Amino acid sequence: MESKKDCDPGAMLDVLYGEADALTERNLRSHQEGCASCRAEFAALRGVRRSLGAWTLPARLQPRLERRPAWRPLLAAAAGLLLALGASLGLSGSELGFRNGTLAFRLGRGQDLERLLAAQEDRHRREMEELRAALLHPAAQPVGSDREEVLRAVRRLVDDSQRRQSRVLETRLADFQQQAEAQRRYDLAQVGASLSYLEGKTGLEMAKTTELMGHVIQASQKR
Amino acid sequence: MAPTDEQLVEAFQAGDVSAFDLLVSRWDRKIQGAVYRVVGQTEDVRDIAQEAFLKAYRALPLFKREAKFSSWLYQIALNLCRDRLRRRRRSLAEVSLDLLSESGELPLATSGPSAVELAEASELARTVGSAVWALPEEQREVIVLKEYQGLTFQEIAEVLGLPVSTVKTRLYRGLGVLRECLEQKGIRNPAPVPAPAP
Repeated sequence: MESKKDCDPGAMLDVLYGEADALTERNLRSHQEGCASCRAEFAALRGVRRSLGAWTLPARLQPRLERRPAWRPLLAAAAGLLLALGASLGLSGSELGFRNGTLAFRLGRGQDLERLLAAQEDRHRREMEELRAALLHPAAQPVGSDREEVLRAVRRLVDDSQRRQSRVLETRLADFQQQAEAQRRYDLAQVGASLSYLEGKTGLEMAKTTELMGHVIQASQKR
Repeated sequence: MAPTDEQLVEAFQAGDVSAFDLLVSRWDRKIQGAVYRVVGQTEDVRDIAQEAFLKAYRALPLFKREAKFSSWLYQIALNLCRDRLRRRRRSLAEVSLDLLSESGELPLATSGPSAVELAEASELARTVGSAVWALPEEQREVIVLKEYQGLTFQEIAEVLGLPVSTVKTRLYRGLGVLRECLEQKGIRNPAPVPAPAP
């Protein structure tokens, strides 16, 4: 009679799932010869595994192709339009929300963008102050060059701002493109799976039809 | 001969983006199966599987080929399943508080099939499915990976980041709970195998 302390659930699982080496399997078998509770346990676990095998996936998880209703392309176009709108709002860092019972729309989202805009605002304010000071004290500026100086400063500001905006836009566009590419590839693979399922199904139906035709021909020849 | 996952990952990392398509078509069904058995609702399955592949696509350029691609993919999918279950539990807790004030009872299940799914399944499949969904999450994950995905103990340990011994303990406990649950529902296991004749 084997003692209960020799029972090894780990070895039992290894044998149950076919992962045990020959020695472990031999040891377990020889232990089970003298250990009724281990034998019962092993048989019960095997029974549970058999029951688990009955649980199959639902049909709706199988790949399938559905008939497309006529409004589907329109819906797809509308969804595309909304996606594009959403993407452009997202790219511009905008935010749409419901606050205090009203719909609120705010340009600028995310700490990075806010920090960037705050820094830009500071810089503009500083430059405006400098310009204002220069206008208030014209003596400090070389005569005749005021207007050009201001124009140059404004042009510089505009250029800087454009450069910053396009940098932010490029980064966001790159993210968006990567996500869209991944989505496209996943969708393509899904369509591929559905097509091969359909091909398989059509092949099966063809075979059935051919078989049926064979029977009909044979029957008519017998007559 | 079909390229291995590792070869496809290598090709993707070398710039052949189409290698990812093959990986998706190879693993999509398996991932959907695992997700369904862990979260239990078909409407969530495609979302989670799709999100898992999107995450994989983004992270694949940095994927170090020390682990198996499939283990890594299962890891991503299971993390998403846990997030989904957590969110579901949270929203259920909010609803429960409302219900508690009215009926005094808390709904318990946080995962499980819809009524339509239940109606479609066979009696035994229904019973087994419900028993698996009633298991604690950690036991359910191990049982799904072992029983339905056919991973080895070592692979499960990699996916879950646990020692093999812990994986076996969870599996053993889970099978024990299932055994009791199925017996209570009238699904009898076969009689113990008699000892071989001396």
